[in-house]
Amino acid sequence: MTWQHTYLTAKVFLRHYRHSPVQASAILVGIALAVTLLIGVKATNENAINSYSQATELLSQRASAHVSSNQSDTINQQVYFALSQAGIPSLGVLEGVAEGPSGHSIAISGNDLFAAMSLALTHSPPPDKKNPQSKLMPFSSDIPLQKLINGYPAILMSRSLADKLSPSGKVQLNGYQLEVIRVDDSAGLGNDIVADLSLLQPLLKQQGQLSYVALFPQYADQTKSQLIKAAKHALTAAGIAVSTLNFEADDNGASLGALTDSFHLNLKAMGMLAFLVGLFIAYNGVRYSLMKRHSLCIQLMQQGVGANHLMAALLLELIVLVIIGTIIGFIVGLQLSQWLQPMVSMTLEQLYGARLIPGNWQWQWFMQALALTLGAALFACLPMLLGLKRTPLAQGAYQRPRTQYYRKLHAKMLLTGFITLVISCTLMQFTEQYQYSLLLLGAVTIAIPLMLPQLLTWLIQLIEQSNPQGLLQYALAETRQIIAPLSLAMMAMLLAICANVSMNTLVGSFEITLKQWLESRLHAELYIKPSPQQIPQVQAYLQQDKNVTALYKQWRSDAVLTQRLVANTSINSDNSAHPQATFNQTQLHVPIALVSRDASSIEQTSSLKVHSIDFWQGFSQGSQVMISEPLAIKQQLNIGDKISVDRLNKPLTIGAVYYDYGNPTGEVLIGQRLWQASTLPATPISFAVNYQGELSQLQLQLKQHAGLNSSTMYSQKRIKQEAITIFTRTFSITLVLNSLTLIVAAIGLFSASTMLTQSRLAPFARLFAMGVSRGQLQFMALGQMLIMVLLTCLVAMPMGALLGYLVISKVTLQAFGWSIAMVWDWYSYAQVVLTAVLSCMLAVILPLYWQTRKPLISSLQQESQ
Amino acid sequence: MTLKLSQCLLKSFSAQRTRRSWHNQVLFCSLAMLLLSLLSGCDNAPNDSKDMGQIMGNSAQGYAKVVPNKPITFPQDHLAHNDFKQEWWYLTANLTTASGEAVGIQWTQFRIALSPPDSEPTMLIEQSQSSPASSKNKFPALHSQWQTRQVYMAHAALTSKTQHFNAEKWSRGNKHLAAVSSNPFTIFTQNWRWQSDNNDMFPAQLRVEQPEFGFQLQLDSQQPFQRQGDNGYSIKSADSAVASYYYSQPYINVSGTINRHGKSEIVTGKAWLDREWSSQFLTKAQQGWDWFSLRLNAQQTLMIFRLRGNNDAGHFYSARLMNADGHGSNINSKDQPNDIRMTPTQWQQTQTGRHPIAWHIQVTSANIDITTSALNSNSDMPLSVSYWEGPIQFSGSHQGEGYMELTGYQ
Repeated sequence: MTWQHTYLTAKVFLRHYRHSPVQASAILVGIALAVTLLIGVKATNENAINSYSQATELLSQRASAHVSSNQSDTINQQVYFALSQAGIPSLGVLEGVAEGPSGHSIAISGNDLFAAMSLALTHSPPPDKKNPQSKLMPFSSDIPLQKLINGYPAILMSRSLADKLSPSGKVQLNGYQLEVIRVDDSAGLGNDIVADLSLLQPLLKQQGQLSYVALFPQYADQTKSQLIKAAKHALTAAGIAVSTLNFEADDNGASLGALTDSFHLNLKAMGMLAFLVGLFIAYNGVRYSLMKRHSLCIQLMQQGVGANHLMAALLLELIVLVIIGTIIGFIVGLQLSQWLQPMVSMTLEQLYGARLIPGNWQWQWFMQALALTLGAALFACLPMLLGLKRTPLAQGAYQRPRTQYYRKLHAKMLLTGFITLVISCTLMQFTEQYQYSLLLLGAVTIAIPLMLPQLLTWLIQLIEQSNPQGLLQYALAETRQIIAPLSLAMMAMLLAICANVSMNTLVGSFEITLKQWLESRLHAELYIKPSPQQIPQVQAYLQQDKNVTALYKQWRSDAVLTQRLVANTSINSDNSAHPQATFNQTQLHVPIALVSRDASSIEQTSSLKVHSIDFWQGFSQGSQVMISEPLAIKQQLNIGDKISVDRLNKPLTIGAVYYDYGNPTGEVLIGQRLWQASTLPATPISFAVNYQGELSQLQLQLKQHAGLNSSTMYSQKRIKQEAITIFTRTFSITLVLNSLTLIVAAIGLFSASTMLTQSRLAPFARLFAMGVSRGQLQFMALGQMLIMVLLTCLVAMPMGALLGYLVISKVTLQAFGWSIAMVWDWYSYAQVVLTAVLSCMLAVILPLYWQTRKPLISSLQQESQ
Repeated sequence: MTLKLSQCLLKSFSAQRTRRSWHNQVLFCSLAMLLLSLLSGCDNAPNDSKDMGQIMGNSAQGYAKVVPNKPITFPQDHLAHNDFKQEWWYLTANLTTASGEAVGIQWTQFRIALSPPDSEPTMLIEQSQSSPASSKNKFPALHSQWQTRQVYMAHAALTSKTQHFNAEKWSRGNKHLAAVSSNPFTIFTQNWRWQSDNNDMFPAQLRVEQPEFGFQLQLDSQQPFQRQGDNGYSIKSADSAVASYYYSQPYINVSGTINRHGKSEIVTGKAWLDREWSSQFLTKAQQGWDWFSLRLNAQQTLMIFRLRGNNDAGHFYSARLMNADGHGSNINSKDQPNDIRMTPTQWQQTQTGRHPIAWHIQVTSANIDITTSALNSNSDMPLSVSYWEGPIQFSGSHQGEGYMELTGYQ
């Protein structure tokens, strides 16, 4: 019986929304937008993270271990043969770079395609595989194996990459015209280009060489270490020196996950920000619709509907709206992630070498989004509903002025916001982990909009001091009044602008820092990275060419940081080599790169962040080493600390930290003397030269005499160009998300001002009746909104700068290990402000146009509602 | 797996599929089909999709043909005949463990050519159009020892009354991965290897190692090889439309060890080798085959098979009675209709299909009238290509052991 009241009330509300659909759609739009961005980012992130643990060898299965050389970039294919002849399921893989038609480098991978595909067929994992289709996929009719294993000049690409790269179905690599075979995207090639070894080895001039051999378990429950042991045994039996090889167990994507962790967290934070902005809009919608129904609710209660039933109906309404909004947002969000994913995969591939495989959406995401949205909506709206419940019935349908209430509320919000801001910024100085910094950044992000309504009020009061007359005075006074109803939309706008300003600052600053760093890092005219077999030839040629005025060399080897010895006392740099210092030992397993260059290269190109007083002396003697900034920050290493590296037998003392942008792998740079005294490979892996004369002449000579192709030679200019392109891509996804957030905020503002103009029909009609012209009225409404937006932008600038500062000097530094000098990017700020103003204008003009076209009498009647 | 695979294939070709069901394919025909569709399905450009039947009909095109009166010579013909589409080295053995347990062993290496030898030269590297025509020296054709038209598939099985292990290996043809070579004669796919002492087939060591089972056998034979059919030219249908080159060695002495779940046992017994190569094995109407190798007594062995047509009248029967001294006599249903009778007496549903696991076999002219029974009814080979293959015993006019192979059942 009693539920009938709830049902009845719900029906009344339904009628209400049918009468004014704008209110319902405002709420739905808010929720849908929030969920769209949340799901868009979540799906993108989850798919990427899943890819790390599920990534297979190309067109094959996931390997359990990998064998590579610890001496050079490639291994002899005898390793593959020996393992195969010992019955260990294995796959030889060659990776390399070829020169594309316009001279740019194209990464290309190849394997024994027949083995890859038959491994996928006969060596599939246990039957409980989620996606049985993936097992059958490899022997798809898209792939003409009979041609490919016979050296046919064709390469495989996913359909989407081929559409981008080679619509003609042909591509030219290293001067050879190759046919492009399109493989369905579900094969998981991502952006990889694949060829059979029969083509790739000669194409890359790597006859007999492989990059690595992937190992697969011999039987179902064979552990990775058992497999590696069997492989070592087999190789030893075949007379291959195991000591020159690296055996690495697959870590289910853990290291890649760790490497990309900060990237994904940043994305997630952006997603949450957009979600927050969307919720603001939805909240604004709910509040507005309640305000409009205030008298209706009172009337219902006066007619005997219990307060609890009313509440139940309102809650029911909210839940239904949230569910519908979430469903819409979920569907659109998945679509959005389809659009974001190529961008993310590009970044991840370029920066971390991760390959993304197509993923599926999951029901859990929907449930999570629903729970989050519902929770947030209830949390935000319950106080409002309870307030309604407490309204005394006697108050009747008369709506009391709430000016007083808002004044208090805004003051309270300012205080809360200010305190939160101060506390967060203070705490931020002490954080060392980017996770915590990000959390505090979240607090700052919430604090900033809280202060907005009061700040806006103050600013308008400030303008009013200029004593404007007549309509202008009215307009300003009224602007102050509409701060309250518009505040939520303005807060959303503020957040979006702040985020934009901070991200633009970050990207702009990063680009400048990077350019400066590249300037100092690159000292030679031409950089050459030949394949290992070509090294002696190239070296011999460069040494005899009289026009080569300087020849620089670089050595590099993969290694593992095994131990960290942090100096116990807070010592100064000058007693870093002090023998009495005590150390805190920590065992580690961090993959790093050991690097060395010739002495003059090191001195000219290392831009040091900090160094000990006697550093250069210690470095040349081999008693001190340099480490890269990301390594120093992630492992919390300082000068004076010691580290142990598996490839070197004694601990190394850190004497300096150097800037290293865009390199996700930590580096330890050691002096040439130390390198040569160790068992590390003696041949350099790359050269850099200065040349007297035309650089293209030298390149041509190297092509002819040492068999190099252009993709192994980079001019300084080309490196700079490619570096900038790649690194800006790192942030492209963030910028896109930011723009989306701004769009969401603009839509929010649109819906808020639509509702606002609706509620202002009566005052406008009154003014019109008093003789103010339509044109003046429109101008006034537009002007009011413009003032609000401009003032919001005014607040947003310092706040955005603050956010930008925190993002640069805290989050990015801690997450990526890159120090960036903050630079103002006024041009992009102007762009953001312009975007905001334009979207606001649009948001106001349209409702204004609708409104002023209504007959005067119907507008005047609004008063009585 | 095969079923799923064929379903997948079915889907991809459903538009073009004609005439008959995929599921009635016979072992080697379906093997060729499987590979054809898997590996060469895209020989044709996407908009130039060939009719399935056309691919079938043309499957032997471009490959060498099996013709009569072409002498088989040893040891050359032990090696691979790459011009032919398919070929195999097939060993079955009936062995006894030290404790008296009967076990059977099968080892087969198949060679399949993925493209015919006279197909267009695949090393057709077009020079980039932008570079001048004179730059030929700058861009030499790419060559690699990885290039091959051949792939190998190897099967191995170990069967006892209660257990049946089986495994498969695939590899592209490559002298380090899978090959058949001389000096000394070797057949191998990865770690499964037939290793002769010299260029002849025997004496040899056969080694198969898998995680769950394996065997290492010493194979020896003093008897001459037996050329099947007309001096090695073995017809597979009454109208001689399809044929293969086929020779056997039914007298091989075996000793060695077998391994089951890490437990080794010494075994001794008799093995039988079949060598066969052709470019087309079955006519379109043939559904499958039932093949037997039977040791009738110390001096005589019988190879007998039935190729199943659409109906009873369409079956083709062929047999050869082989003496240890190298002589023998042929019987087939083309020349002597109704001389051979083969009747299933018991059917069993196994993992891969409903199989006739017991038979009544009569060869009137040779006074043979026996009934056979399987050592293990579930001797399926559920591999890329599925069939039934296992040791049998027989009794009646003769008593002894042998092997049976059943293909094309579902």
